[in-house]
Amino acid sequence: MMLSMQPLICAGFIAMATSHGLPSTPLLATLAENVPGIFYALPLVALASLIFAATHHEDPAEIRFATLHWAVWLGGILGTVFVAVMLLGWMA
Amino acid sequence: MIKPTPLPLQRSASRANFQSGQTRPPIGSRIVAISPDDGSSIDLRNPALAALLSWCLPGLGQIYQGRTQKGAIFMGAIMATFLIGLWLGGGKVVYASWKPGETRWAFVCQAGAGLVALPAVIQSRHLNGSARQPLLPIGFMAPPLSTGQSVSRKYAESLTQSDPDIEADDFFDKPPLRQFRGDQLSIWHRRLGKFFEIGTLYTMLAGMLNLLVIFDAWAGPLGTPTDEDRKLHKNAGDKNIQTPT
Repeated sequence: MMLSMQPLICAGFIAMATSHGLPSTPLLATLAENVPGIFYALPLVALASLIFAATHHEDPAEIRFATLHWAVWLGGILGTVFVAVMLLGWMA
Repeated sequence: MIKPTPLPLQRSASRANFQSGQTRPPIGSRIVAISPDDGSSIDLRNPALAALLSWCLPGLGQIYQGRTQKGAIFMGAIMATFLIGLWLGGGKVVYASWKPGETRWAFVCQAGAGLVALPAVIQSRHLNGSARQPLLPIGFMAPPLSTGQSVSRKYAESLTQSDPDIEADDFFDKPPLRQFRGDQLSIWHRRLGKFFEIGTLYTMLAGMLNLLVIFDAWAGPLGTPTDEDRKLHKNAGDKNIQTPT
């Protein structure tokens, strides 16, 4: 049933992207104008943390704790790199 | 016919393994992994089938193994990321193209997400084959048309009607086909801006992380040794190098 629902789910999302293209939809136009690109990385950090944690543990409580652990590490490393790049750009 | 006994998949994360120095004996003929959290056994059933199911639909392999919560987590997280990426990219970021100079290497990662990326392969084969038009309507997951590419009249007309950036004049008449004289990938980049790259990144990451999920279905949790396990392992190693007096 889940396999047969995949095309329907995909079609639903594509229907949201109108034939006139993106980001002409109001939501995405707002996102494009107001949300800096760097913030689109945050859901990816959360996803990677969750997957890493869930593949290392079985217990849901351990998975939650490990997700936070990984998210802090990933966010910290990426944040440090971001700050370093910003400083280098400021000093250049 | 004698069926071969499947080799048990042993994990050495449990404390008992370090203490005895021996691997845990198999439970019947099941293939099991050991949970790194409480040392309990995890019945992997058929690991190869579980891995295949996890590729087809992220998390389905874990559900097949009875690890329903983990399967639901994987399914929800990876599918949501993939579909959000597809939505951010206007449905244009997942496509398969192997033309020299236009190879879509991102699809190698996106294919890791499973059957949800399969339409891209079907669309590419139909568009570049004798049909000269994609199989699925509105060119869903179809590769972009390149300059000089010939397509069927029907597909050319549907593009002209559905895409505001493509006009009838963008096609040369080349009976029985029509030849595109623009560059559809440039049109997509111009229209979507940064969302083309963001959508590509989301779908690629979903596909790559599903590889970890597939491995989890194949071999169980990776597990990280606790400090106590490390000490026990170190003590077991020290005993081997002690010389008798």
